[in-house]
Amino acid sequence: MNAATENPQVENYLAQARAAMRGMPEGDVEDAVRELRSHIADMSEQEGYDIGSALRSLGDPVELAKKYRADNLTMRAECSGSPLVVFQGLRQATRSRSGRFTATALYIFGYINVFTLWSAALEKLFAPSKVGLWYVPGRIFSLTLVNNTIPPDGGRELIGWWLVPGAVLLGWLLHYITNKIAQWWIHRYRASIQSRDPEMGFCIGGS
Amino acid sequence: MATISPAGTPAPSLMDKWEVQLRKGCLELAMFGCLWSDKLYGLEIMRRLQSDSDLAVSASTLYPLLARLKADGLLESEWVEEEAGHPRKYYRLTPAGRRRALQMARMWSRFSATIEDLMSPLLKEVAR
Repeated sequence: MNAATENPQVENYLAQARAAMRGMPEGDVEDAVRELRSHIADMSEQEGYDIGSALRSLGDPVELAKKYRADNLTMRAECSGSPLVVFQGLRQATRSRSGRFTATALYIFGYINVFTLWSAALEKLFAPSKVGLWYVPGRIFSLTLVNNTIPPDGGRELIGWWLVPGAVLLGWLLHYITNKIAQWWIHRYRASIQSRDPEMGFCIGGS
Repeated sequence: MATISPAGTPAPSLMDKWEVQLRKGCLELAMFGCLWSDKLYGLEIMRRLQSDSDLAVSASTLYPLLARLKADGLLESEWVEEEAGHPRKYYRLTPAGRRRALQMARMWSRFSATIEDLMSPLLKEVAR
């Protein structure tokens, strides 16, 4: 047992780092904290070093945790099927403020359309006469969910119950494309910050 | 904004930035070099980089980088209980890491040979 393992300063530092690593898988957090603890113990045993200087060599615990978190997040986002994880990874993978705003807006726009399509499919089951793909002569095609304006004057419903599988499928396709574009972006970002084998595909070593 | 000294040489801050970028670009290759024939733990890698290549890397840069290379399948690690009284995490190159290290070394060799040719007049000047 090393003095560094029970020192309140060390415990406080590691607690701050651990807290700032939230969102990472528990196993990765434990592994990182254990390694930092080992480093502190090694450093503090060196001549001319003590616990304080060992901790200073690691820098601010929150900033250190952010580096772990950023890498971990983009790595998981590259492989994940979860829109939330991909979204967080996308924001992390976009360096400039304007780029982050654009990426966020496009991603949200994609999912608003996914939500609209899936809502239409669901509502069609409960209010079949009020949801549909309507054609109004002289106007454009419109897919509408607003009950009190339906059916549109002079409008003709085109696909009937086919709207349910059609909207589900189209929504899924849009969800897939939105995620894939975001993951392609994240992949490019990760390849740019590391010496990555160009032949390596997505998700090497990721889980 | 870039600042140029009256003599026309770049201000020290620009040279510092250039050197930082250069070192940053070499760091992974140097780490692969350290781990080519040994398994090492974090602090050993830091010491090896410092003594063999003058690449002084901070712990706050090294550990997240090791974690990333491991996640990318280029390094693998194991915890070893040591006589020191605490376990240490040792890293070694995976087969994918060794392939990558060789690719980088070839690329480095070609690149440095080319740049050295271009720089030969400058180097003569520096040697004077």
